[in-house]
Amino acid sequence: MNSELLTRRDLLKQLSAASVATLGMGAPRVWAEAEEVVHPAARADSCILIWLAGGMAAPDTFDPKRYLPFELELDVDKILSTFPAIDTVVDDIKLTEGMEHLARVMDRGTLIRSAVQPDLGSILHSRHQYHWHTGYVPPITVAAPHIGAWMAKVLGPNSEVVPPFINIGQRLEGVGEKEELKAFTTAGFFGSQFGPMNLPYPADALKSVQPSKGMEPGRFANRYRHYRKLIDQNPNRAWVSDYRQESMLRSMDAAHRLLQSDERHAFDLTREPQAVREIYDTGRFGQGCLLARRLVESGARFIEVTTEYIPFKHFDTHENGHTTMKRMKSEIDRPIAQLILDLEERGLLDRTLVVVASEFSRDMMIEGVPGSSARDQSRAKTDKLKEMKQYGLHRHFTGGTSVAMFGGGVKKGYRYGRTADERPLVAVENPVSIEDLHATIHTAMGINPRTAYDIEKRPFFVTKDGLGQPVSEIFA
Amino acid sequence: MRNARCQWITSLVVVKLFAHGLTSQAAVIDFAHQVVPILRQHCLECHGENKSKGGFSMNRRELFFDGEVAVSGHASESLFVELIESTDPEMQMPPEDKPRVAPEQIKVLKQWIDEGMSWEPGFVFGGEGWEPPLKPRNIKLPKAQRGRDHPIDRILDAYLTEHGESSPAQISDAGFLRRATLDAIGLLPNPESLTEFIEDTSDNKRVRMIDNLLSNDVAYADHWLTVWNDLLRNDYTGTGFITNGRTQITTWLYAALRENMPYDRLVRELIAPISEDSAGFVNGIKWRGEVNSSQTREIQFAQNISQVFLGINMKCASCHDSFIDRWTLEEAYNLAAVFAETPLEVNRCDKPTGVVAVPKWLFPELGQVDPKAPRETRLQQLAELMTHSDNGRFTRTVINRIWDRLMGRGIVHPVDAMGTEPWSEDLLDYLAARFASDGYDLRKFIHFVMTSQAYQSQSVILQKEPGPDYVYTGPLAKRMTAEQFMDSIWQITGTNPSRAEAKVDRVGREEGESRKLHEQQVEAVSAKWIWHQGAVGKQSQLRHTFHLQSVPQTALMMTTCDNAFVMQINGREVTQSKEWDKPVYMEATRFLSAGENLIEIDAEMFGGAAGFICQISMLEKDKQMRAIISNAQWEARPPGGDWDAAKVLYMHGEGPWGNILNPKEAIMPMGPTSAVRAALVKNDFLMRSLGRPHRDQVVTTRPAELTTLQAIDLANGDILAQYLQQGAQQLTGKHGLGNWLYRHALSRLPTTGELNILKDVLGTRPDPAVVEDLLWLVFMQPEFQMIR
Repeated sequence: MNSELLTRRDLLKQLSAASVATLGMGAPRVWAEAEEVVHPAARADSCILIWLAGGMAAPDTFDPKRYLPFELELDVDKILSTFPAIDTVVDDIKLTEGMEHLARVMDRGTLIRSAVQPDLGSILHSRHQYHWHTGYVPPITVAAPHIGAWMAKVLGPNSEVVPPFINIGQRLEGVGEKEELKAFTTAGFFGSQFGPMNLPYPADALKSVQPSKGMEPGRFANRYRHYRKLIDQNPNRAWVSDYRQESMLRSMDAAHRLLQSDERHAFDLTREPQAVREIYDTGRFGQGCLLARRLVESGARFIEVTTEYIPFKHFDTHENGHTTMKRMKSEIDRPIAQLILDLEERGLLDRTLVVVASEFSRDMMIEGVPGSSARDQSRAKTDKLKEMKQYGLHRHFTGGTSVAMFGGGVKKGYRYGRTADERPLVAVENPVSIEDLHATIHTAMGINPRTAYDIEKRPFFVTKDGLGQPVSEIFA
Repeated sequence: MRNARCQWITSLVVVKLFAHGLTSQAAVIDFAHQVVPILRQHCLECHGENKSKGGFSMNRRELFFDGEVAVSGHASESLFVELIESTDPEMQMPPEDKPRVAPEQIKVLKQWIDEGMSWEPGFVFGGEGWEPPLKPRNIKLPKAQRGRDHPIDRILDAYLTEHGESSPAQISDAGFLRRATLDAIGLLPNPESLTEFIEDTSDNKRVRMIDNLLSNDVAYADHWLTVWNDLLRNDYTGTGFITNGRTQITTWLYAALRENMPYDRLVRELIAPISEDSAGFVNGIKWRGEVNSSQTREIQFAQNISQVFLGINMKCASCHDSFIDRWTLEEAYNLAAVFAETPLEVNRCDKPTGVVAVPKWLFPELGQVDPKAPRETRLQQLAELMTHSDNGRFTRTVINRIWDRLMGRGIVHPVDAMGTEPWSEDLLDYLAARFASDGYDLRKFIHFVMTSQAYQSQSVILQKEPGPDYVYTGPLAKRMTAEQFMDSIWQITGTNPSRAEAKVDRVGREEGESRKLHEQQVEAVSAKWIWHQGAVGKQSQLRHTFHLQSVPQTALMMTTCDNAFVMQINGREVTQSKEWDKPVYMEATRFLSAGENLIEIDAEMFGGAAGFICQISMLEKDKQMRAIISNAQWEARPPGGDWDAAKVLYMHGEGPWGNILNPKEAIMPMGPTSAVRAALVKNDFLMRSLGRPHRDQVVTTRPAELTTLQAIDLANGDILAQYLQQGAQQLTGKHGLGNWLYRHALSRLPTTGELNILKDVLGTRPDPAVVEDLLWLVFMQPEFQMIR
């Protein structure tokens, strides 16, 4: 079984390498010196990034601190958490109230409590998100590939038909900062072959892989059959050997293979039993988790599922933080936990790395990091609590964030790093930079953090400057 | 780029050991004769020319210090020496499998370091094998072969002979017309002009066609705007606008293309803007918060003007001396300092160096900016130096870009690396000099290339992507840009968008006169807010019938509805909107016909006030003005109700909406004859998928091939499907549809074999769905999507 899998994977790799070779002048080559880079043995074949967009407050979720309930005239600088801590199945890991399902699966993974982000002087979510997703702080001189595009490029697809990089839940039109979101939701200089398939509405995902509205499957198949015939009848025979024409026809063929394949059913949530759908269905995010599970089962390489970034919405709590967090936790708690359990039950968790992350954390008092010149963006400024909407972590905090990782060869029931118990709640033990976090993720996936491609005759590394060091302690 | 270097520093600082020792002096070491041979023998294979193993290159003296590899004057403290002398297999240099540096050679190197590491000024190991000349060069044209006396053909025919190749065969008239129309104005020739052109028997018909195409200034600007928007990083939406960190140059750029502003003047206005209109390029994008020192606006300026106007990659040198060419950190910062408003400190790999940059430009042989002059003067001086008649790199760069667009591959490839050796230096230099002597006239240059036999030859079919040993054997086919693809599809399906995002003046000359009449006469808005009688309800249907003696010359419409509406004229959808506060201003002539005309509105109110208002100001053939206005003569009803006279709610200017319609805006939007083109609208999902870039960096090359994800979008995407559906509605029932479509899309008739398949698709009585499939089948042909 195992060796069969390997053979199949190698074959796919060869296929993807062949298509890269014919991609043309835009195709970046492996940086000459990085050719000698040896990739580590992969611990996982697929990666799911659960993206809690907007800056999820760690003290109200994965990293409980001193809790004070709402009380009129309470000094806000006394508050660290607005939710009480709860026990989990792991003795020394506590979460916060509202995360009871996740509390039961913490023995399946590692919780990093000490992720840190740089102080960029002024918080613009999409800029930090760009940094998190590409490993590079914008602006930069070349279009940086998304972490999913790196996996698509270096590892290739896991399946002959399912695209390697799928992005679930984020609309790129009709939302604030959409241009900034588009800037990193891309394969950058790798070219769009390695870019995301965007599925903003998981319940409508099937639409992306089936003929458009009003197009019956028979008509669709027929249309393609006629297409092939017309190509065969084209009088300009000599062009058949042109490499660009050939590559275009190959892409058309691959697209139609997917649109008519069995794998496309993976995009169809209605094929899940009603009971399962109900467990997941806390809204678009929960449905996205279910879709991610189905896509991993069908061979997707990298999937991102997001609560969606909309300025001042969801985890982007500039005011009314406590109330919003309650809702957000009810949206994420059950689906993420169920995803872990389902993957485990199917024997897929060992070869799937699930990463739960956000661009930074939040704090009641500090904007950025202690001493930052960043402008205070809280919309509920007060010294003492006067009303409920002031109760919550309303300032962006980059000094200490939690990242949970499950499966993919990470230790089980393990905690790594720590933040201070008193404000400032900065990482005081084993801080993990974005570069190191990416190095860890890529190492788990079998990508050397020093991997680089040639762009404009310069090396462009998978982790910034090739410097990312994997946090090896978290691997089992 | 800082990648390699910074990493080298970091990794070595850790292992670096300090040792102290005495230095001994003998005769002074001769760098060129004693040191260079040793470095070449042992080091450069990995650490020089274009190699920088471990991030270390010794191409230049300073690189030893950047990497903390040597301490000048102190051989014993230099890691370089320590590694050479080491016997630790993990540490030693050269590595274990390479021969050791001989003891007497080590002695020379040590002494060289102790003496202060003398280095020939300007000496660089490797670098580029071919050094691009700066000045223009005049070429003696070879003799014409077989009467082909166009200068391009004289050069290329000689080139082909020299390379043992023969000239490619001439392209057919139909093939020429399709290629030329797409290349010059980004559109397909329509079937009528195809017939006319093929039947034309005059000798110079191709030249006349090129003249005609390029004299269509609006269509030319509509097409080339795409190229220049990419190059100048100009867009209507995108990163940076959200925080006002960026401005457009659209209006200025479009006008410059349309009036064919000489290229030297265009660049001068970009580098030293005379108004805000052209300042968006040099100002770059200002990001909120702190940015890497290699991405400040000043450095963006240095990078962008070097790349765009000179084909120089200044990105490496913005962080440290470049490994890949001769440009240094100092030169990058000095260029940036020309633009800087305050003294600019040089940063190396994002770390301040304490050195303040001196405003300087890159080629002092042409002159220099005055570092003491105020910023505005410095920019003017820089603009003059850039466009200096002796700056051959400036002209070579731009004509190479245009050659690449027209002929499928640059004479220098890639087009941003003008330090690369051209496949024909004679051709490059001839064209650059010609371009300058022709007054930096872009359109004249395009005309010049297109009139050559070389341009009018059959495309070369390539089995694989050409490499560095490329030999020209004829023009290469090009993939349509996203904009050409959209424009062509809109052209055939009649689905051009009704509103342009780009604020540009596309009013034709004749049309301009009629606009004047409009301006004089259309001043007041006499239209009224209307709805149906009785209870307001959520929805209202409105209609109006009017008679026209003939189709008017122009028909400027302004209309809006609180909250949403869809308008049809004579059964065709004209416009729709959900934003009452953004009235629709458009030219509606193409929807009107002689005789009875019917306007129909489906209006909807989401809550609050309801009302619809519309005014169409028409200039009739006899220069008389006539207005159609919404008023009590219109009919209205609630859905399913009976038609009744519309109820007039308010005069324009009254009610909750104020003076929402602005006649001046109505006069601006666009020409009546030229539909809105893809370059003028916002990037959308489909165009992005087809390679229209997110213009936050300068992008000069679009992806050459179709990818699977793009193919999925083409197979089932909603945006394309909608255009095809709308087109099919109009084309269903058209006589000889298959032939018409092939001639319009491919400039040829289908063969019998193809026609049989088309017949099979269409059946006996094709419905719109079948026509939609037919359109798809043709638009998906590689023959359609490539400009051969």
